[in-house]
Amino acid sequence: MTETAAPILSMRGVAKNFGLQTALQGVDFELARGEVHGLVGGNGAGKTTLMNILYGMYRMDHGELKIDGRPATIRSPAEALRLGIGMVHQHFLQVPGLSVLENIVLGTTVSRPLTMDLTVEARTISRLADQFGLALDLNEPIEGLPVGVRQKVEILKALYRDVRILILDEPTTNLTPQEADQLFSTLRQLVSRGLSIVFITHKLKEARRACDRITVLNEGRQVVTLPGTTDQETIVRAMVGDRLDPGKSVLFTGSRGDETDRVSPKEVVLALDRVFVTGEGPIDRLVDISFEVRSGEIVGVAGVARNGQGELADAIVGLETPRSGTVLFNGHNAGHNAGLLTIAQRFQNGLAYVPDDRIRDGFLPTADVISNLILGSQDRPPLSRAGFLCWRKITDTARGLIDRFHITVADLSQPAGDLSGGNIQKLILARAFARQARLLVAHNPVRGLDLAAIEHVYQELLALKRMGSATLLLSENLDELMLLSDRILVLYGGRIAGTAARGAFDRYELGRLMSGAGPTV
Amino acid sequence: MTGSFSFAGFAQLMLFSMVPFVLAAQGTMLGGRAGVFNVAQEGIMLASASLGFLVAFKTGSVALGFGSAMVLGGLSGLVLSLGSTILGMNQFVIGITLTLAGLGLSTLMPKLAIGVTLTPPLAPTLTNNPIPFLGKMPVLGEVLFRQNVLVTFTVLVSIALWYVLFRTSAGLILRATGENPMAVDALGLDVFRIRHIAVMIGGMLIGLAGAYLPLAYTGTFTEGMVKGRGWLSIALAFFGGFEPGRIFWGGLFFAAVEVLAYRVQIGGSWVPYQFILMLPYLATMGVMALSSRRSRIPGFLGKNYDRERRSTSSQGQG
Amino acid sequence: MPDRPCESGFLLRQASGGGFLPAKRPLTWLVVGLATFGITVLVLAALGPDVPRAIATIATTSFRTRNGFVQTLLKLVPVSLMAFAFTIPLGAGKYNIGGEGQLLAGAIGATAVGLFAASLPRPLLVPFVLLVGVVMGSLWGFVPGWLLHRFGVHEILTTVLMNFVALHLVNYVAADLWPDPFAGHPTTIPIAREAFLPLLLVRPPLHCGPVIAILVGVAVWIYCCHTVAGFELAACGANPRASKVFGIDVRRASLSSLMIGGGLAGLAGALEVAGVHHRLLEGMQSNFQTLGILTGLIAGGDPRRVLPVAFFLSVLEVGAGALQRTMRAPIEVVFLVEAFVLVAVLVSDRAGRWRS
Repeated sequence: MTETAAPILSMRGVAKNFGLQTALQGVDFELARGEVHGLVGGNGAGKTTLMNILYGMYRMDHGELKIDGRPATIRSPAEALRLGIGMVHQHFLQVPGLSVLENIVLGTTVSRPLTMDLTVEARTISRLADQFGLALDLNEPIEGLPVGVRQKVEILKALYRDVRILILDEPTTNLTPQEADQLFSTLRQLVSRGLSIVFITHKLKEARRACDRITVLNEGRQVVTLPGTTDQETIVRAMVGDRLDPGKSVLFTGSRGDETDRVSPKEVVLALDRVFVTGEGPIDRLVDISFEVRSGEIVGVAGVARNGQGELADAIVGLETPRSGTVLFNGHNAGHNAGLLTIAQRFQNGLAYVPDDRIRDGFLPTADVISNLILGSQDRPPLSRAGFLCWRKITDTARGLIDRFHITVADLSQPAGDLSGGNIQKLILARAFARQARLLVAHNPVRGLDLAAIEHVYQELLALKRMGSATLLLSENLDELMLLSDRILVLYGGRIAGTAARGAFDRYELGRLMSGAGPTV
Repeated sequence: MTGSFSFAGFAQLMLFSMVPFVLAAQGTMLGGRAGVFNVAQEGIMLASASLGFLVAFKTGSVALGFGSAMVLGGLSGLVLSLGSTILGMNQFVIGITLTLAGLGLSTLMPKLAIGVTLTPPLAPTLTNNPIPFLGKMPVLGEVLFRQNVLVTFTVLVSIALWYVLFRTSAGLILRATGENPMAVDALGLDVFRIRHIAVMIGGMLIGLAGAYLPLAYTGTFTEGMVKGRGWLSIALAFFGGFEPGRIFWGGLFFAAVEVLAYRVQIGGSWVPYQFILMLPYLATMGVMALSSRRSRIPGFLGKNYDRERRSTSSQGQG
Repeated sequence: MPDRPCESGFLLRQASGGGFLPAKRPLTWLVVGLATFGITVLVLAALGPDVPRAIATIATTSFRTRNGFVQTLLKLVPVSLMAFAFTIPLGAGKYNIGGEGQLLAGAIGATAVGLFAASLPRPLLVPFVLLVGVVMGSLWGFVPGWLLHRFGVHEILTTVLMNFVALHLVNYVAADLWPDPFAGHPTTIPIAREAFLPLLLVRPPLHCGPVIAILVGVAVWIYCCHTVAGFELAACGANPRASKVFGIDVRRASLSSLMIGGGLAGLAGALEVAGVHHRLLEGMQSNFQTLGILTGLIAGGDPRRVLPVAFFLSVLEVGAGALQRTMRAPIEVVFLVEAFVLVAVLVSDRAGRWRS
């Protein structure tokens, strides 16, 4: 944390527009040597955009950049790498079908390009891995590896290329609490060996824990740069200005409100009994799952990604059929065999769904905003009658949703793919909340939203509970689950590793269950 | 089937006929491995056939004919690549446009260069180049070592492509580009340039395949002489899972079906011959139906790569 | 801001894939027009000396004589139907390159009815002829659609392969099954007079096909913009995975889009048999598929633009025919011009998107 004369990186007045949307308006950012500098703010605040500019993936419209005090232009990742800048992206940029070793050396000059004998490279990388505590098997194919390991591969890729500045974009997204701890200690090792790190995150606790300084971005503007020891409330105020009153918000009071707490669950809306779902190989992705969700209840499902949450959501929505066991939705058979409800029928019966990968699974980028908002509801009244669409009703409904969820749309006829990331998320959420659902299945619903929007969604979720809907909330954010759920189930390896009731939530206990360590009692 | 049927003769004919299939499919595979889906083979092959024939006719040199066809094929590949990378246009649309343009050009060029003649003009054709010692072997000699130079070339190219793709650094990069161009980009490599090179070389192979038809088969150019082989080569690339070795063997299969169909047509049978001629196409559909589960295609095939794109839209099958 | 997306930015158009939406700005059309004109002049100048006369021939032949205009309308029918046969599956993200085979299948069906069901009363016979044409074309679209649905085989290939099957089948029917012994070229015997399409004009003969084409155009527009099925089709084209997640049966939508496209192409074939040739003859598919695809692409997949664009291309084609007869320029000239129009439209659209 000692500061030397010149910062290793200095960005001034950086501005970037994507078509009509402004992503960054004149941001300053400085990275001192040997520091861990947190970049904090919601999605749409511009953190990833700023770092993508640094890494050469985007070109800035205005601004200047200095490395080691010398001006530099970075037009491509190749140039960034040459200047010693490396980036670990939020969505790992790895090539399926190749091994770990091949992924790491891809694009570098190898000693034997005509035979691809990589023993020399393998030795170098192993040494590096040991140095930084990142040991792993280099010859494994990258596809099946757990997220924590794949992240180590990403870091090794950067280290192998001798970077001096390392950017980490939301690195703890898919890690258990324990794996996150490991990452933080790795970061300390990296810094002790001379790297300077930019740590992008929206999780304040982590930023305060790991970073020497924190820069807050809000809607494309740099708001303030604070020491890492600053208290949480100050940082929050910097992030959201006065759009959010920490005193009244769910997020910051950490409570749902007495009225919500008093709502007790009633009849069973969703029941799973001994459900098994197979995957592509011989291993079952869901094993012996049994639980119920009642109306007026929020059931949280905790777990690290790829432990069965996706398959669970798929089975309930209807994208997967269990190989055995029963799934009952509203008393209708949603599991298998005769009388199985189709996905469309489930939506008709009051299912609402927010998918995990919202862009891939819930969004029509080339279609306009209105069409996106009615996806899933278009085939029944009031939006259509006898197979014909009622455009007036559709447009009214859509406008209502746009207002209610504060979706910023410049032109209703533009392709929805032109909206900013945060607005796309809001659109997909708005669609799910449009009608009061019998059962809402929400998978990581607030990922990618800024604080004010997250607050809004939490309020909507709690309102749903008060109105008697049932909610199954699958989330990788333990704090969120602990805040909102009546009960929490932990998924590990496709099984329910444990459950906890509200009032008895223990963070580290749940973390142990999430990593398969088994309950301590 | 009447007449004498010698296996060696059949096999020799099979190897002779597989050249356009395999070359065009390998060309498709090469571009496909970079993520560019070329659907213009039929048009490119026709135009290359036309051009190759004309050049050979006017200059008397088969080599120049093939050379010009390669250039045409390479240029069309470049058009596809530039249009989809820099202009960001839909690859299928460019491909269909190129097909149509190729169809039109293929009949226009002879009219301009030669005009209408009473007898079809003839160009020199490829001769068999028997390899001195091996060519005299009883069965294998006839099949393998008394073929024209392009047959040998096709075999060697298939082997070379397999080696480059799976045993060299360049091949690694190419494969990565077709699976996850963003990863390749983030590592500092030029995705567009990789696509240009792959598609251009692929186009050159497709051009060669087209010119083979007049310059090895008939010695003249007739309208529509590609007869669907361009489309079949796409089927072959899929069937082979975009892997040079499987494509080669699949090409032999396609050639075998083609040769058999013509044998039957000449030989006569109680089924109307038109139905026999339908067999290659029906067989191809059947084969594709059975093999589509197992074959693996590059993950980013047919999709354009845009570094600054904020949300991805899916083109082609989801 | 428009009230309905359909008025200006319809989902189907946009779903047809990023990159070939004709921009709405008049400036773009001006650029397109100038570029096309410039290319045309160059191409014509290269091929023959009298450029102004050539251009006049191409552009005005359709309007100078009654016969010219009728010829244009007669061409409009198959071209517009083939364009719909391409654009409807395109809206679902599927590439139907099998219009030719579907047209011929429809023609075969129509011929069979025209030859063997002629005893039906006339008001029933003609619709029946057309109906069988639609069903046969639909069947020809069903096969690739089913292979896609069941096995995931890419339709670009199967539709093309079915073209070849159809070509051989036509040869069989016309040369061996019901051949006309006096024709020098594979052709069937003529269908019964009662099966001919009613005429709008007698001299020169203009059958009622254009009316049918316009009705089809209206129906397609209603389907695409105002029905749930049309919406779901376009959603599948925009993002098949998301459509599936939200309850749309994507594979069924793809299959039905290919069947509808095939049916329309089959209708085109039936209309050609019942209205123009009154028999099945080899080569009757002409270059309709090419023109249909061109029309569909230039129209950007928008059903409302298909008929005007098809008319424009028909004018060019009729003009090209006249050009070939009078000035002995090769017929491909116009084809190149049409291709350049397409390219100009595609490029100007990209340029338009950059500017915004």
